[in-house]
Amino acid sequence: MTTEITVPTDLWEGDTEGVITAWLVNDGAEVAEGDLVAEVMVEKAQYEIEAPATGRLGIAKEEDEVVSKGSVIATLEP
Amino acid sequence: MSAAPPIDDIQPRLQRPSVAEGLVQEEALLEAICQGETEFALLAWSPHDRALVMPRRHERLAGFPEARRVLRERGWPIQFRSTGGTPVPQSSAVINVVLAQRCQVGSSAAHLEWGYRRLGDPWCAWLSDLGVAEANLGAAPGAYCDGRFNVRIGERKLVGTAQRWRRVRGSRDMAMLIHGAMQVGETPEALVEVVNAFQSAIGDPQRFSPASHVALCQVLPDLDLEAALPGLLARLGEAG
Repeated sequence: MTTEITVPTDLWEGDTEGVITAWLVNDGAEVAEGDLVAEVMVEKAQYEIEAPATGRLGIAKEEDEVVSKGSVIATLEP
Repeated sequence: MSAAPPIDDIQPRLQRPSVAEGLVQEEALLEAICQGETEFALLAWSPHDRALVMPRRHERLAGFPEARRVLRERGWPIQFRSTGGTPVPQSSAVINVVLAQRCQVGSSAAHLEWGYRRLGDPWCAWLSDLGVAEANLGAAPGAYCDGRFNVRIGERKLVGTAQRWRRVRGSRDMAMLIHGAMQVGETPEALVEVVNAFQSAIGDPQRFSPASHVALCQVLPDLDLEAALPGLLARLGEAG
């Protein structure tokens, strides 16, 4: 079953958008649950995004793309 | 980069490392929270050398190699930091105060606004202790690396703030690192000129204004900063 990697909804208040500042893993790479995979910046705060499951990473939002809370930024295929 | 000192060696008094060493020490603070070694830590440092420090994403800009060369020739090598924002000069004219704290996700402590106030409100209180009545948090349009939570005096930026958040290992808790960079010496013109040189070299037309910045030495020219700084650290410790 495909697992989505989303921008957490509980990290900042309001509807301010963030930006994907870095992917720490290449598209198509295998990652383990808990691995750091990306960084999102909002209002000068950098948040590290972890893989919620183990699988093959499919990047949906590229570096420098704008994202909002809850946005799907990648998927994980088992 | 130098190896980070053990966390027990980091004391809440002013350190004088290189820029690179200071950035490594900041990372060590965040990692100590993530590893469960401590739930709260403070670090104050002012570099003995200088650099223009920015998030690594700037490395992707098309003109970055040329900008790096230009800034190096001017005596301002570029280094990267882990917090957000845009380029900021680091030199002995800047004092950095870094606060790292374990926070529970889902509570108000998980929000970045809380983090900025966690650093900024005690900072304003400390300035009030020193007799500066008009310190507050807010944006400083025209300032480099502007944000909504600068510590301002008379609406001019004194302290720039930025954060980094990381999950605590094996927990839903988060580790927050919040960084404040306060200009204490030189003139705003001297530091703004460095950032504008980068802007020019990178081909970005945006320029920043010295009028949007203020240095502590302009406001409190007779302040004994080494003597006053423990008061800021105490304020930050008490607020936790």
